[in-house]
Amino acid sequence: MKDNALLEIKDLKKSFGDNEVLTGITETIHQGDVIVVIGASGGGKSTFLRSLNGLGEPTSGQILFEGTNLVGLGEKELDKVREKMGMVFQQFNLFPHMTVLDNITLAPIKVKGMSEADAQTKAKQLLDQVGLGDKADAYPASLSGGQQQRVAIARALAMEPDVMLFDEPTSALDPEMVGEVLKVMQDLASSGMTMVVVTHEMGFAHKVADQVWFMDGGQIIEKGTPDQVFEHPKEERTKDFLSKVLVQ
Amino acid sequence: MKKIKQIVLAFLLGLVAVMSFTAPNYTNAATDDSLQKIKDKGTIIMGTSPDYAPYEFLVNVGGKSQVEGMDVEVGKQIAKDLNVKLKIKQMDFDQLLVALETGKVDMVISGMSPTNERAKSVDFSHVYYQGGQDILVNKADAKLYAKGHIALQGKNIGAQTGSLQYDLAKKQVKDAKVKGLSKVTDLILALKSHKVDAVNVEKPVAEAYAANDNQLVAINGKYELGDDMQGTAIGFKKGSKTLVTAVNKTLDKIKKDNKTKDYLKTAGNYMAGNTADTSMFHYWKYFALGVGYTLLITAVAVIFGILLGVLFALMRLGKNKVLHAIAVAYIEFIRGTPLMVQIMFVYFGIGMIVQIPALVSGIIAVGINSSAYVAEIIRGGINSIPVGQTEAARSLGLSQSQTMKSVILPQAVKNIWPALGNEFISLIKESSIVSIIGVTDLIYQLKVVQTNTYRGIAPIAVAMVLYFVMTFTLSKILSYFEGKMKHEG
Repeated sequence: MKDNALLEIKDLKKSFGDNEVLTGITETIHQGDVIVVIGASGGGKSTFLRSLNGLGEPTSGQILFEGTNLVGLGEKELDKVREKMGMVFQQFNLFPHMTVLDNITLAPIKVKGMSEADAQTKAKQLLDQVGLGDKADAYPASLSGGQQQRVAIARALAMEPDVMLFDEPTSALDPEMVGEVLKVMQDLASSGMTMVVVTHEMGFAHKVADQVWFMDGGQIIEKGTPDQVFEHPKEERTKDFLSKVLVQ
Repeated sequence: MKKIKQIVLAFLLGLVAVMSFTAPNYTNAATDDSLQKIKDKGTIIMGTSPDYAPYEFLVNVGGKSQVEGMDVEVGKQIAKDLNVKLKIKQMDFDQLLVALETGKVDMVISGMSPTNERAKSVDFSHVYYQGGQDILVNKADAKLYAKGHIALQGKNIGAQTGSLQYDLAKKQVKDAKVKGLSKVTDLILALKSHKVDAVNVEKPVAEAYAANDNQLVAINGKYELGDDMQGTAIGFKKGSKTLVTAVNKTLDKIKKDNKTKDYLKTAGNYMAGNTADTSMFHYWKYFALGVGYTLLITAVAVIFGILLGVLFALMRLGKNKVLHAIAVAYIEFIRGTPLMVQIMFVYFGIGMIVQIPALVSGIIAVGINSSAYVAEIIRGGINSIPVGQTEAARSLGLSQSQTMKSVILPQAVKNIWPALGNEFISLIKESSIVSIIGVTDLIYQLKVVQTNTYRGIAPIAVAMVLYFVMTFTLSKILSYFEGKMKHEG
C-alpha cells in the first residue's frame, strides 16, 4: 500500500573476478519497512547490504536512494548519501581510541558541523535509549560485546539516518547478549525506522519483519511476510534452508 | 609492474641529468673572471681541514673555537692584498677538492702538496712552504724506524685519506698496509693504541705533535720526493688563472721576506695556549654547542621526516598508480643509498644549483633519509588497522581524509609508537654523519676538542656519555607517552 519508495534496486549485479556474487536483484524498499534478509552463508546477503551504501561497488545495475543513483557516484557524493544511511557491523567496529561519547559525537561534529555541546546532548539521549546512559566516558575495550553493539547502533543513529542497515549484528555475540541487542533493534523498528537486517535470528525475523527476503545464489528467490515465508514457503530451496535452520 | 619500472627508470634518468648538469664546467677558461668575481664579492672563502697543526688547527678563544695556524696567516695576507675579506670554511681534508669544484670555497689552503695528480683537476699557486715528510711513531719504537720509510716494510701505516702521505706509503713502502682516516687526530689515536705502527705526516705537523705529546717522536721519512711533492701550495678551481696570478704575487712576497717563520711562531703561541688547560670541563661550551646542534638537527629532521613520511605512506597506499609508483621509487631509492652519500649529494650536488648552508643541507638530507623509513613504519601502522574501522567511519559519512585523520592515524600512531621511537633514537646517533660537511654537531665538536687538546680518548668518553644521556632521555619520554596512550585505549 506504501508508495513512498526509499530505495529502489534495479538489476543489481556484482562480481569478484569470475565469481558472480549478485546475479541481478530488483527490489523496492519503502519508508518504514523492516526487511529481514535470510539465507545460507555465501548467498550474497552481506554483499547485497554493503552495496546499498556504496561500501562495495556493484558491477552493474542501479540503486536509487531518495531518487539518486548511487552506482558510479564519486566518493564525495557517496559521503553525502552515507550520512543518511546508518550501518551496524557484525564486529561492532567501534573506534577503540575514543570514549563511547566521542565515538557517537565524531560524525555529527565532523560531518554535520554540529556543535560539541549539541552533539553530546544528543549522544547522551541515544545512550539512554540503548540503555547505556552510564557508559559515556568508558572506552570500548571495557564494554561487553552486547554493550559495544548497542553503542554502535547509537553511533549510527546519531547521524539521524533515513535507513539503518544491519550486517549480522548479533553473529559475533555470546548467546546471552543477543537479546539486549535485538531488543534495541525491535524498539527501533516500532519507532518507524526503515531497516534492512541481514541475520540468522529467525525469531527476530518472525516477530519484527514486515517482509522476509530469502537469498540464495546471488538472488532473492522468495519474499513475503514472515508468515508466508516461514509457514508456507513455496520454493524448494527455502524449505530446505528453513528445515535446517529451524531444526537447530 | 611495468609502469613502476618505467617510472623508476625515469627517476634515475632525471637524477643522471641533474648530475651531469652539475658536473664541473671547465669551459670558462676562455673567459676567466675568477679574480673579478672575488673582488665583486668582496670576500674570499678559504677551505681548510683544521686538524693539521701548525698549518691549521682550532683554538679556544674565550670559549669560542676558531681556526688559526700558518695557513690562516697566509690566507689573511692574500685577502689583505686582494683587498677583500677572508672567510674560513672547515671540512674534512678529503672533501676539500669537491668543495672547490662545486664552488663552496674559492681556495684551499690546507697544507696541500701540489701533486701532478691533483693538478689535473685543480689550479695550483706557487709553493709557499717546504716542509718535508716525516713519520710519527711511538717513543718506544723510535729506534726501530730510525731509517725512515724503508723500516716500515710490511708495517701498518696510517695516513690521511686523499693525502700525498697516503700515496707515498702506498707507493714507496714495500708490502705496506696503509690505513686511511680523514682526521689526523684519529690517526694519532690509532698510533697510540697501536692500531698502526707509524703515521705519515708533514714535518711541521709531526714536530708539533711530538712537542705536545711526550709519547710520540717525529722521524724523517726519507721518502723520494718529486718536485711536485715538495712543499705546500694553494688550490683553486680549474681555470682561475687571473686569481692564481694575483695570489702568486702575495706568495712570492711571503717567501722573499721569509714570513712563514713569523707565521709559525704565531701558530706555536696558539698551540701552547691550547694545551695549557686540557681538562674536559674547560671545553664544556664546545660539547654543549655540539649537543645543541645534534638536538636541533634531529628535532627538525624528525618533523620533516614525519610530514614527508606520512605523505609518502599515503601515496604508497593510495589508489593513484602514478603517485604510488613515485612513492615506491622514492622510498626504495632513499633506503637503498647511504645517508653519507645523500648528505654529500645535497650539500655539493644540489648546492651547485642553489647554495644551501651546511646545516640546512644536513637537516634536509637527514630528514629525507628518515622520511623513507618513517613512511614504511607508518604504512605498516595503517595496514595494521582492521578494514572495519575504515568501513565504520565511511558508513557514518566521514570522508576519506577525515577517516584517515580522526580514526586511522591516531590508532596507527599508537601501534607504531615503539618503532617510531626507535627511529628517532637512531636519528640522534645517525645525524652525527653531518659532521663530514662541517656541521658543528657533537661529533664535530668531539674532533675539535681532540685537535685542540691533543687528547684522544677523553673527548670520546664525554661524547659517548652525552649521546647516551640524549638517547636515554628521549627513550624515557617516549615510553611515558606510550604508557599514556595505553591507559586511554
